[in-house]
Amino acid sequence: MARVLLRRAAATAHPQTPSLHHLFRQLSTAAAASAAPSKPKTFSIYRWDPNNPSQPTLKDYQIDLSDCGPMVLDALIKIKNEVDPTLTFRRSCREGICGSCAMNIDGANGLACLTKIQSGSSNTTVSPLPHMYVIKDLVVDMTNFYSQYKSIEPWLKRKSKIEGGKEVLQSKKDRLKLDGMYECILCACCSTSCPSYWWNPESYLGPAALLHAHRLRCNRGVQMMRFSPQVKQWIADSRDEYTKERLEAINDEFKLYRCHTILNCARACPKGLNPGQQIQKIKTLQITK
Amino acid sequence: MASRPKLSGLQKQVLGLYRGFLRAARSKGPEERQRIESIVSAEFHQNSKNIDRKNFLQIEYLLRRGKKQLDQLKSPDTVGLSSFTFSQQ
Amino acid sequence: MAAVRSALLKHLRLTPPSIGGSPHHPPITPSLSLVIRRWFSEDLKGSFLDKSEVTDRIITVVKNFEKVDPSKVTPNAHFHNNLGLDSLDTVEVVMALEEEFGFEIPDNEADKINSISLAVEFIASHPQAK
Repeated sequence: MARVLLRRAAATAHPQTPSLHHLFRQLSTAAAASAAPSKPKTFSIYRWDPNNPSQPTLKDYQIDLSDCGPMVLDALIKIKNEVDPTLTFRRSCREGICGSCAMNIDGANGLACLTKIQSGSSNTTVSPLPHMYVIKDLVVDMTNFYSQYKSIEPWLKRKSKIEGGKEVLQSKKDRLKLDGMYECILCACCSTSCPSYWWNPESYLGPAALLHAHRLRCNRGVQMMRFSPQVKQWIADSRDEYTKERLEAINDEFKLYRCHTILNCARACPKGLNPGQQIQKIKTLQITK
Repeated sequence: MASRPKLSGLQKQVLGLYRGFLRAARSKGPEERQRIESIVSAEFHQNSKNIDRKNFLQIEYLLRRGKKQLDQLKSPDTVGLSSFTFSQQ
Repeated sequence: MAAVRSALLKHLRLTPPSIGGSPHHPPITPSLSLVIRRWFSEDLKGSFLDKSEVTDRIITVVKNFEKVDPSKVTPNAHFHNNLGLDSLDTVEVVMALEEEFGFEIPDNEADKINSISLAVEFIASHPQAK
């Protein structure tokens, strides 16, 4: 096969420039073209430009999957590079650790870099995270989400002095209590999939912030509950000494108790966490504290 | 238009934002204040002419953007405001 | 109006400030009158500006506004109908009035001011205008 191709390439090469480089270039294009039959796939992508008065639309882009990486993010990057450079989306690590490329793909929230392209012939629809203000195309305004995260004070707070003055040590057992919370990358897939958060985005903290809140309470070997994903995180951390105050701060009809265990958050989480369960734990802590 | 209809909620928000910018400008130096006022005034007047008053999507977007910019302008660390224009080819 | 106010002030000055209250006053009255008295106390009493003075100062401010034809400015002029100002210009005028009279006009009040007579009415009845 390779020999045949090489001969063909050599035959078609310009007789006066038989450089090796030229030969190989022809070879590689010929190989790509004949090795994989083209697999066309259409992506319907939400487009809206704030500087253009028209309404948002779904725009179709057809690309060849045989010449594209396996993930939705690969397709988006290919479209941006080769078809339409005005397509706007956030992306960074392309390996599911930065949380930038959270979006709604075929109706489910997820990270584009961890979501495989469906091989079927039907269109794949890509839209921004639901119920978020759109800044442009797939980029949403995360201000409210981040300020809610900030409101749970996601850092270690101490009342007593630290021995040795440097770092607070933690036993392996206590560290294990943070599993299922510390992995959260704040991509907002969970919060923006939660109907309760859709109705009360300002007053309900949402699964992500609650999960982190719970982490801080895992202190002192108390059986910890986890709040929404983020809130819970800090409640459960053995090195934090403000567990009680933290629980008090979120003991609110809206901040915490808008969670009705719909559990869309657990289904949406690209890291496989269960914010809803953490929120349940916070609720239990509220009555046993 | 003998008697203008009452302002809509959205219009009130826009006027409130404009007022906010003019108030924030007062807290800056006299030279900067004038510059801020002329930039902000030009932008509001331009948008009031160019944007369809029923294009709520775009007006709300601009309101949110404006609120963010106003928050930044209000900070005492912000001493001035500048703008640039670019021509689209 | 002025007569009523001075009568009221006179009465309030005579009211004993005792918290216990006389038989004529139920317990709530003394504290209420104290509040009213403070409201109308000497340093604030003179702060209601004279209407004609307010009108003159407002007209001067509006005449100095660059988008306004000074010859059209009358005490009854409507910002939009007579002076051709849009709602954004009106905001600018009202903000200029705020500075002239040294107090802040809340948004819901400012939205209602669309003529010189309304501005005079509001400012003349505002104790903080100076």
